[in-house]
This record gives sequence, C-alpha cells and structure tokens, in this order.
Amino acid sequence: MEGWITGIGWVTAAGFGLGRDALQQPFQAGQLEIPKRKQIFEKPDMRFGRLDEFSRIGLAAIAFCLRDAEREVWQQKREIGIIAASRYGCLQTDLAYMDTLMLEQGQLASPNLFAYTVANSFLGEAALRFGLNGGSFVLNQGDRTGLAALRIALEDLAWSEQEGVLAGISDLNPPPEFADEDFHPGSLFLLMEKEQQERAYGKLASVADEVFFNSVKVQNLEELIAACLAEKHS
Amino acid sequence: MKKVVISRMAAVTSLGADVDSLWSGLMAGRSGIVEVDRFDCQNYVSRYAACIEKLQAPDNGSMMDDILERVAGQMGNIPADCRLLVASIKGEIDRLESASRGQILVPEAVLFEPMLSKIARRFDLNDNGCNINAACASSTLAVMRAAAMISVGTADAVLVYAADMVSEFVFSGFSALQALSGEMCQPFDQQRKGLNLGEAGVALLLMSEERAAAEGEKQLARVAGWGAANDAHHVTAPAKDGSGLILACQRALGIAGIEAGEVAAINAHGTGTIYNDAMELTAFNHVFTSQIPPLHGVKGSLGHCLGAAGGVEIAIASRALCEQQIPGTVGCLQPEEAGRGCLSRTAQKIDGDYLLCSNSGFGGINGVVILQGGA
Repeated sequence: MEGWITGIGWVTAAGFGLGRDALQQPFQAGQLEIPKRKQIFEKPDMRFGRLDEFSRIGLAAIAFCLRDAEREVWQQKREIGIIAASRYGCLQTDLAYMDTLMLEQGQLASPNLFAYTVANSFLGEAALRFGLNGGSFVLNQGDRTGLAALRIALEDLAWSEQEGVLAGISDLNPPPEFADEDFHPGSLFLLMEKEQQERAYGKLASVADEVFFNSVKVQNLEELIAACLAEKHS
Repeated sequence: MKKVVISRMAAVTSLGADVDSLWSGLMAGRSGIVEVDRFDCQNYVSRYAACIEKLQAPDNGSMMDDILERVAGQMGNIPADCRLLVASIKGEIDRLESASRGQILVPEAVLFEPMLSKIARRFDLNDNGCNINAACASSTLAVMRAAAMISVGTADAVLVYAADMVSEFVFSGFSALQALSGEMCQPFDQQRKGLNLGEAGVALLLMSEERAAAEGEKQLARVAGWGAANDAHHVTAPAKDGSGLILACQRALGIAGIEAGEVAAINAHGTGTIYNDAMELTAFNHVFTSQIPPLHGVKGSLGHCLGAAGGVEIAIASRALCEQQIPGTVGCLQPEEAGRGCLSRTAQKIDGDYLLCSNSGFGGINGVVILQGGA
C-alpha cells in the first residue's frame, strides 16, 4: 500500500508550520501556543472563536497542511478523508464541560462546549471549511510511533475511491496527573494522495507493520517528517 | 476480494440481555425507554432514556465494565488471533463524572488505551486494537473497516465491540442542545420533537467466508457493501439535501455491486430529531428513485445508543434478513409525507437478500453498511 505525501502542516511547541516553509523540526519540548484566527486565516471567521482548543490546533494543522499541498482553495467538494490519532482526545474539553455541568445542577451546562466533547467534531469543521467529503474519524490506539493513522490512511487509499487522506496526530497537553516527559502535545497532519504529484515530498508505503518513505524504513513520525524536510532541501 | 460474513453476535440493550430478547422485544413493538433514575433530571428538558436493566458499576469501576461482562459472556471463546476494533464515543465517562464531582485526580482509566487493553483481555485477544470515534456512526465505520480488512486479506477474523452508556454528561449535553424529546421519541413521525438517549453493548465477529466454514462457524449474514462520506456542511446539523448520506449509499451500493432496487429494506438512523429524519428521507428518496423499500428505525425502542447504535442495528438487520421481516418503528404514528408507504408502526414483511443500514453523526459523518442474507 502506498501514497504520495504532498503536504505537511503543524501546530506544535515549535510553533505553526508548513513543510515547505519549515526552518526547524516541528517536534520539540516546550509550551504549546493555541492559534488565534488571524494566525491561520486572513478573513474574519465567526466559527473559529467558538472552537475549543483541541479543535483549534487540529483545524489549524489541517489548514497548514492543505496550504502546503496547494489544496486549501476549492470549488467542488473533494473525496479526501481525515484520520486523526489522539491519545487524550478532547479530555480537556470534557473537563471544561464538566465544570459547567456542576454549576446550578446542570442548568448552566454549555451546549457549545458539549458539541466539542465529541472528539471528531473538529474533523467536521475541517470537512466543511475545506470541502472534504471522504470518511473521517478519530483513532485511539496504544501507539507511540505516531504512524498508526498513516498506516490506516494508506489502507484507505488502497481500498477506497478516495483521492487523498489527511492523516496525523492531535493532542493538547493532558491534565498534570498524566504528565509524561516523552509526550509532546500538538497537532501534525500529512496529506497523502493516491496519484503521484509533482509537488510530492515522496512516496510513503506500508508493508506488514513497517512504514517506508522513499523505500527507506522509518520508525516513527518524527523520523518521517525529518526525512520529508530533508527531501525538500535536497 | 474475499467474502465477509458475520459469524457471531451478542448484545445487551434496554430490551434485554441478548439478541433474542432484543429481537422479540422489537417485534412485539416494545420500548425500553423509561424514566431515568440514575441521576436527577429535573433541570433537563427530558427525563427519559433507554437504560439497561440493573446496570451497575463494580467497586472502583465503570458501568461500561458491566456492559462488557454481559456482552462477552454471550460470545464464547474468540480466536486469539482475531483483530479488535472498538467503537465508543465517550468510553468510561462515568469515571470522569465521579472524579470531577469528588474533586479527585482524573483516573487514567478514562482514556481509551486502558479500555482497549481491558476489552482485549476479556476476549483473550492478542491484539489490543483501536477505538474508532466517528460520533454516532462509530460502530458502522468499525464494521466497515473490519469488512475491508477481511475482504483484502489484511485479516481474516475481526471482532467489533461497541458500547456507550447513558451518563449525565451526555444527557445534559443533548438537553443543552435542545435535542432531547421531553416525551417518548417518535422517529420519522410528523410530530417528532427530538431524541431519547439509550445505552448498549454489542459484539460482532466478522470472518472471511473460508475461515468461518473451516472453523464451523455460523454465517448469519454477509457484509456485502460499505461506504462513508462527510456532509462537509455543519458540525452538529446534517446537510438538508442529504448529500453525504447519498454519497455513502452510492459508495456502499458500488462495493456490493448491486442496484438500489435490489435493496429489500432499510434500517435507518432515525433519531427522532426534526432535521436528521428529514435529511434521511430526502437522501433515500434520491437513492431509491422509484420507491423507498420498507424502512424502519429502532430508536423509539432502544433510544439513541451513540457509538453502539450502528452495531446494534447491524445485529438487528442480520436477524431481519434471516426472518424476512423488519420490526415496526415504535413512536411513528403519522409518518412524514416523504416516508409514506415505507414506514410502519408494525412489523413489515420483506422480500429480498439485501438490507441497508445507515447512521449519521456529529461532524457530518455518514456510514452505510449493506448486509446480504442467506450467507
């Protein structure tokens, strides 16, 4: 199974980035800045202000990824799916919603926050904003390589009519009780397309449980992104 | 492409402890929707939900543990090499409620990873699997993925386990969104006012036809086609033109290799909300241009079981194909004009091999699975 990586976008402790503009690796320890609308979209956007933080980082990373692939602007809906792997999902939004639920015995429960306690809501935000009508879901899996969503995306490209799949990871900082020094919060998406594109970083393939970029085995998402960025500069 | 069959299924719902009681309850037109006594509903727009009888959390556990135990107990030994796909929207959300109310640290068990390990252990599987969260289409997408994995030979046996529970967290949220009906819900009825929540656990063992035959497993139904599509329209409201569901149906019909006219019946999502049910009828009238086949929805009996809804409905559809009849749509007293002639309060005979199941959810996602009987 294989696909062509045509775009990379992220919101991490390294900041906001597009693969082709990148000056540094996106995976770094540090504080995650939640993007504001002006940092992503030029035009005013009523909806963006209502998004929870989990949705904001995910939507921003998808926007940067599509911009990197020159696929942000659209006229007709595209058969592009989205698969987002997440360890903590919308847990922070769940906790914020619980705070509203406990006030006045439920009378002040926030409908807006509740809408974002469904972890795949931000995929819907991305789908409507960018005209993506492929299948979409959030994936929870015990995977520390960051490659789980990409493997499934490659399967989807092989098995379905979809022309492309956005696949990646998305996580806010978890509550302090889940502290894990090896965990880096943030969101990073790659656009993988079925057909070879001139702008592609290279070819991603999966064989059994192993993932290869341009025929070289990669162990994790960090290694894959480093290889893509190196390819861009070569 | 390998043929994919459902070889075993188990369910626990508000209508009973197994698939037989679920089926007999549906065919009798019963409803499992009752007044909720699990939490105080006085500040919410409804007091009704379809709750599993005597569901209890073990000490330091979740009600989801009880659901898992009741479902797993019906499934018997599952082959250890079977892959695992789980579908749940909120998982063990009652643990988060308890932690927030008790002002204690959030336990790790609220996360999906420990829940996956627990499910794999309970079924004695080597694979910890993954959870698919696609809102109310979660288990539909899980069945689709399982069928795709088997059909291309990536796996030859996959267990799909789906569960969600009635919690104050979710109940209050749907109440705040004004999506709950203050009365018993009425899917596809002209006077429908919203949904009632429900809870369920369901397990479906999918196998390649060859493996099922080799191991002497039953072949309850074949998973013939599947398709998913996003409306790309709104986060909590469906596209009025049903464009996403239409596309999902077309993709499923394409994989099944059949014409729409060959579909003998439809198990629709039918939440009882004004917009969902209207959208579905619009979509089905587009897909089935001459006449929508007999159509039913079970949420007037089972409530909306969230991530488990699709899995439960696929189990019902499998039985419906075998029996060549579909249950009535409880609560549908005056069918929507667009559904006249295909909806009924009472059970309907069907005549054919294919049954289409659809689910739609938050985020604009639509999932469709087509089952074939006589496997």
